[in-house]
Amino acid sequence: MSTVVNFENLWCVFEHRSGQLVHALEDVNFRVDPGEFVCVVGRSGHGKTTLLRVLAGLQPPTAGAVKLGETAVTGPGSDRAMVFQQDTVFPWLHVKDNVEFGLRANKLPEGERNEITDYWLQAVGLEEFADSWPRELSGGMRKRVALASAMAVGSDVVLMDEPFGSLDYFTRRNLHEVLLNLWVETKKTIFFVTHDIEEALILADRVILLAEGKLVDDIAVNLPRPRNEDVRATPEAVSIFKLILAHLGITEEEATQA
Amino acid sequence: MTTTTETDILDVRAAAHRQKRRRQIAYVLYLILGLILSLLIWQLVAAPFSPLFYLVPPPFDAFRHFGENLMFSERMLERYVHACPDLLDELELTGGGMFDLPDHCFGYIRHIMRTTRNIMIAVTLGTIFGLTVGLSSLVFPRIADVVTPIAGFFGTTPIFIAAPFFVIWFGIEYPLMTTVGVVVFYTTLLMYFFSRRAADNIEVGIIESALTLGGDRRSIFRWVYLPGTIPEIAGGFRIALAGAWGLGTLVEVLGIQMGGGFLIRMWSFAMGVLEGPAAVVSLILFFGVLAVVVDGILVLFIRYITRWSESGRKLGL
Ligand SMILES: Nc1ncnc2c1ncn2[C@@H]1O[C@H](COP(=O)(O)OP(=O)(O)OP(=O)(O)O)[C@@H](O)[C@H]1O
Ligand SMILES: [Mg+2]
Repeated sequence: MSTVVNFENLWCVFEHRSGQLVHALEDVNFRVDPGEFVCVVGRSGHGKTTLLRVLAGLQPPTAGAVKLGETAVTGPGSDRAMVFQQDTVFPWLHVKDNVEFGLRANKLPEGERNEITDYWLQAVGLEEFADSWPRELSGGMRKRVALASAMAVGSDVVLMDEPFGSLDYFTRRNLHEVLLNLWVETKKTIFFVTHDIEEALILADRVILLAEGKLVDDIAVNLPRPRNEDVRATPEAVSIFKLILAHLGITEEEATQA
Repeated sequence: MTTTTETDILDVRAAAHRQKRRRQIAYVLYLILGLILSLLIWQLVAAPFSPLFYLVPPPFDAFRHFGENLMFSERMLERYVHACPDLLDELELTGGGMFDLPDHCFGYIRHIMRTTRNIMIAVTLGTIFGLTVGLSSLVFPRIADVVTPIAGFFGTTPIFIAAPFFVIWFGIEYPLMTTVGVVVFYTTLLMYFFSRRAADNIEVGIIESALTLGGDRRSIFRWVYLPGTIPEIAGGFRIALAGAWGLGTLVEVLGIQMGGGFLIRMWSFAMGVLEGPAAVVSLILFFGVLAVVVDGILVLFIRYITRWSESGRKLGL
């Protein structure tokens, strides 16, 4: 369990139909140590998803590379399981078969598969729904299925693209707790994209700030855990909050008006 | 404060059950009502004051004609039309003749069964061909690069234009080849297009998710494409089958010496006379009802295998 993730001079340029070039990522450099919880924060359209897709191997970079240890990423693989922004649970598989998909693809023997599947279903609190169809679950429950599926493949690195963006406040808080417990237990490296600063402060060891494709700041979040309301009201937490706001181009007055 | 007790839950279940039962009863009632209405309209169209009086037999005449000619038909015997050429060959070797043939050789039953068998064989073969090519093109995209333009050229509409040529080429001598050939051709194309389209309609995000979970060609085919395309493929199969009844009998009408379509052609020369209209209408009606019944059974099956999908249920309806 010791894969360092290295982003080296990463560029990703798209050509839009009008012929206009969009620098989704522009010379991004940073290094993530094993077991870190990294939140990637930025405004809409500023390259967060692109960063994750390059790391996942779903989007080849225009220049530079993402390396796991010494090897550059060239395609998708189960060493970097991803939870997507949209609903990607397989509707035609029972909940437990969804969680089992990655284990099947990696050709684990049946006994082991069942054991791991049961474990993760329990971890996300869905053991009673193992035999349900996804359509019988709520949106939040389906997100938990996606989370369990990604966790179950046993990768050291897990990528999450605004996984809880569409969920209500209570469900989201509940899932933060579930996710943090899983993280503490497994010590996986987690890349978590969000545009919710509050969410980043609850989850992250470190916040990577993207603006127009450039890495504009790399903020260590050394707040004690659990990050409850009291912790988030401390001067340290508030100053991090304001720093991020400033980077996103929102002044303090605007923030208080909002 | 309210507490839910065991009996409350049982009540709720019973209520849901009652509601479902009521819906089913309503469905059957409407079906019967629809049938009665259709029969009434039919009766009116066939009434002496109707301008279609000479072309449309009253329902009861059509039913009676069908019943009287199903197992043995006096009319067929009069016209020396039988459905047992092989048996006749054998009989002739021992000095027998047409009148030694068993009764059912002169009934509609053998023709109808021949048509039904041919269509079933053809649809099965076509579905196997179309799905094999379509689904394997998902694993090996090269196949699609080659097949799609060709399939697109032949399309599914030109088959109706090509049908008469099949009849001319194989025609009288190889009737099996003609009917089965046309229907296989049509079903193969349709199932190829439907399997491709079904696969295209699977969201990219779902495939990408499978890839990051470690999916390779094989596992994605088995656990994503295969189950995910079933509702649309099943819907396509229903369309193919419905069309195959029409196409199969149409080919026989065009010039095959046996089968339901042949009976229709034979009787069409006797339209305006005596039993002509009753015969034609009863045969058309029979194939219509057969198609609807087969489709109904198919729907039940499709609904079962796509029970994961709400839209699959709708497609299957
Ligand atoms: N496949 C693509 N083709 C063309 N342009 C793209 C593509 N993917 C992303 N882009 C462009 O790259 C930029 C960054 O997009 P990206 O999806 O990474 O933003 P994001 O930060 O994830 O935004 P959001 O918070 O709205 O999800 C955008 O300007 C977008 O238009
Ligand atoms: Mg995004």
